[in-house]
Amino acid sequence: MARLGQLASTGWRVPDGYAITAGALEGWLPPAALAELHRLFSAPTAGSAAATAGADYSGHQRLIQLSEHARQLIESQALPSGLADAVADAHARLESRTGRGTALRVAVRSSAVGEDGRAASFAGQYETYLGVSGADEVLRHIAKCWASGYSAHALDYRRRFGGSSPLRAHDLAVGVLELVDARSAGVAFTLDPVTGDRGRLVVEANWGLGESVVSGQVTPDYWTVERGSGRILERRVGAKLVWSVLAGTEAAGAVDGGDDGAGEIGAAGARRSGTVLAPLPAELAQAPCLSDDEVRYICRQAAAIEAAEGAPQDVEWAVARDLDVPDSVYFLQHRPETTWGATAPESAPAPAPAKSFDPVQYALRNVFKVPGT
Amino acid sequence: MAVSADPPRVFPVDDFVREELYPGYRQAFGSQPFVAGPVRPFSLADNERYWLRDSLHFSEGMVPASISTLDDAQTWGAQLGAEIVGVPPTRGSVNRLAGTHVYIGTIDVDTQWQVQARAARFGQYVSPILADFGSYWSMRAAELIAAYEHFDNLDLSAMSPAELWTVLKDAYAFHRRAWFIHFEVMYVLTANYLAFYALAEEIGLSGSQVSSFLSGQQTFYSRTDEELWRLAGLARSLGLDPALTQGSPADMRMRILALPRGAAWVAEFDSFLAVYGQRTEETCRIDTPSWIEDPSPALYSIGTFLAKPAGFDFRGARAAAVLERDSQIEQARRSVNGSDLARFNQALASNQAANFAWWNEEHNYLIDRRAAIPVRRATLELGARLTDSGRIADPSDMFFLFKPELIEVMESGGEGRWADLAAMIPDRRAYFQHWRERGPSLPTMLGTIPDTVPDPIMIEVFGLSGHFLETLRAEPAGGFGTGVVEIRGFPAAKGVAEGVARVITTVTDLHTVQPGEVLVCGGTTTEWTPAFGIILACVCDTGGSLTHAAIVSREYGIPCVVGTAVATTMIKTGDRVRVDGRAGTVQVLA
Repeated sequence: MARLGQLASTGWRVPDGYAITAGALEGWLPPAALAELHRLFSAPTAGSAAATAGADYSGHQRLIQLSEHARQLIESQALPSGLADAVADAHARLESRTGRGTALRVAVRSSAVGEDGRAASFAGQYETYLGVSGADEVLRHIAKCWASGYSAHALDYRRRFGGSSPLRAHDLAVGVLELVDARSAGVAFTLDPVTGDRGRLVVEANWGLGESVVSGQVTPDYWTVERGSGRILERRVGAKLVWSVLAGTEAAGAVDGGDDGAGEIGAAGARRSGTVLAPLPAELAQAPCLSDDEVRYICRQAAAIEAAEGAPQDVEWAVARDLDVPDSVYFLQHRPETTWGATAPESAPAPAPAKSFDPVQYALRNVFKVPGT
Repeated sequence: MAVSADPPRVFPVDDFVREELYPGYRQAFGSQPFVAGPVRPFSLADNERYWLRDSLHFSEGMVPASISTLDDAQTWGAQLGAEIVGVPPTRGSVNRLAGTHVYIGTIDVDTQWQVQARAARFGQYVSPILADFGSYWSMRAAELIAAYEHFDNLDLSAMSPAELWTVLKDAYAFHRRAWFIHFEVMYVLTANYLAFYALAEEIGLSGSQVSSFLSGQQTFYSRTDEELWRLAGLARSLGLDPALTQGSPADMRMRILALPRGAAWVAEFDSFLAVYGQRTEETCRIDTPSWIEDPSPALYSIGTFLAKPAGFDFRGARAAAVLERDSQIEQARRSVNGSDLARFNQALASNQAANFAWWNEEHNYLIDRRAAIPVRRATLELGARLTDSGRIADPSDMFFLFKPELIEVMESGGEGRWADLAAMIPDRRAYFQHWRERGPSLPTMLGTIPDTVPDPIMIEVFGLSGHFLETLRAEPAGGFGTGVVEIRGFPAAKGVAEGVARVITTVTDLHTVQPGEVLVCGGTTTEWTPAFGIILACVCDTGGSLTHAAIVSREYGIPCVVGTAVATTMIKTGDRVRVDGRAGTVQVLA
């Protein structure tokens, strides 16, 4: 989220919105609920109800049960009234600024401090909810964001990388952003994610909201663009059978969204509220969802974001309906590219002055134990 | 070329045709097609060496035609690879057949001079390859891909039997070449990996950690699995899931096509197959179809994934695996001192650039699971012509002919032999079936169980560790029986899980595995990978740090214990077991 703020201040077009800082959320959970959480995760004590829940924290089934219990507990708590009032005010101002009034739909995005960090990525541990409307619903989803830090996946992750305590304090901020009424959306990579080639950028996109692309539920339209010249090297129209749309809209048709989006395919981090995957109208399935101008503009901006960050990025963006490029293109999120970024030169060891280890000689001497080697 | 009506000029050999040269000469003296030794049935002399049942690669037995492809692969390919690379302690692997089932042994280099001479050329051969492994593997992969393009683009249906025979000979020649590449690369990478392993032990780390340092790389198979999950999700959002989870896979395609939007999904599935479907279920088995011919395994995987509504979070799992790897590397770096750190970093860099843990998975799609497909296609097409002309009863009869028999009838004017060959086929089919049924009861090892095994491949890939051998030596004549509560093995992927065991002896039974079970098996290969998305833990009889099951378990974040020697005999389906992947133990609870 901090990154999104930087984007806005450096002139990239980002959706209007407001943020609830980590500081504002710190300690919001009522003491009784906090104590219950501690009981849940503490070592088993014979005979207590918590003993069954806390007995074998290492078993995956147990983890799922614990996670369900913790999330229900947290989601049922009301935010403190001061915080609730502040959110209601900010939300009313946003409704008025955007001119959409109570019809405004927003994205409620989690942003754990350190989430976008290169070394300790917490990517995907917290969830984001799309298509939320009204201050009351926003408040409810802020609690859900917080609770998503207790998903089985997140607990398992912390168990493995965050030390022994599953209760490590959340440094979680929440951003509430106008949901871009996206005609098309997707991801831009500032290197080829398959080969790691930094000479080209890759754009993947589908009609509608970006979730169908991010969660991998379609074969998206695909472009590669030469860095520097901006020349489009390759373009493939994907087999786009479905798209992500807001639940309850005409495009969603008969697909039943439900509060937690029954139509979604839930990977951690992909669980969205108020959006569904719906069959894509046949006339759109065969058509590319971006113009060449849009592809080139997105790549230029993604390269500029990469230059500002100093490392390869993947950038989520959306193209608003009824506007022309460049005004139509919004940037939603970006983070260091993990597959290749993780082995980027700066994280590799400094080269040693001289070779002190020769795998061949070492194997002959210490593995094959050839005398005299 | 000038066209001439003159008969070809012949200087006759007739005067020199005889059975004997010198007194006592035998024909066999001139015939040494193998570097060390061909595939054979067991002989009594084999009691003096150890033989490991290779259920890892060949769980169901070999038809006669597949014995030739085995001969090209694990026998000839391994021996030529070891010879050319110059691996000092071993001349590669050698195979014996029990009925139709494959056992593997190794041929030690047993004189000091040969070991020294091989060591000298080993360095010359391996060093330049390790210095630029990326270019080297690209070159080899390009050679393989060019050959596949050649064979895939042939229109076999338009060819005459003579033309098909030429294609079949080409396909066999390519098959051998592919297997030489396999073992050449494997031995080079093994040396790199084992050097890192030994260094880790020397500087106070655990060698068993090394394969974790090298994990987290995407392979062709992890992409296949990701695609299968995607197709499952797509089927669900199009409302096709009932058709994929009910009924047999045989007519699944037709049932899906009959549904609204079914055609769109099938089109998507077919484009998946075009990229990922050039694979058979077992190495060298030319009697097994590719996924393109019979997509049942892929459809079954998709059906299984649909039973797990939450899907599998590949991005999350991969991110977690990468972070786990990086944090282990950082921890290792912090624990070693200055000069050791420099050596550690160099060994790590060398192994990141020439990564056995990655290649061990990745190469299967270019070699193990694909190299025999051109042979299979040409064999079946030729079989169809021979069926039409009444030589054999069915194209699949071709699988029950040995390659030398086929060469004889196709090349040496042995037309009259067809009736004799065709008459043997029903008995050969019965023989195959008989041994197929006996497969699960065959011993893990035959011959003399050694104290240690010098061939590092046998230790790290097949799992012939000291513990494994000790367990087998301790086995009472009648087996262990029941009542044993703890089994030990190699700690392959950490984590603790408790659940109900599912014991599987062949990949064809894989579909019986239910989400949340603990998989117990002889060993796993690529075909087993989809199950790792639904199981709680994995336990294998065979295997070491570089085994498929070990590598894949780490990627999927589930506990795994390999090299237990006895898990499939001591655990029964339905037993409650507790797997501790860090300690390397499996407890049978009830």
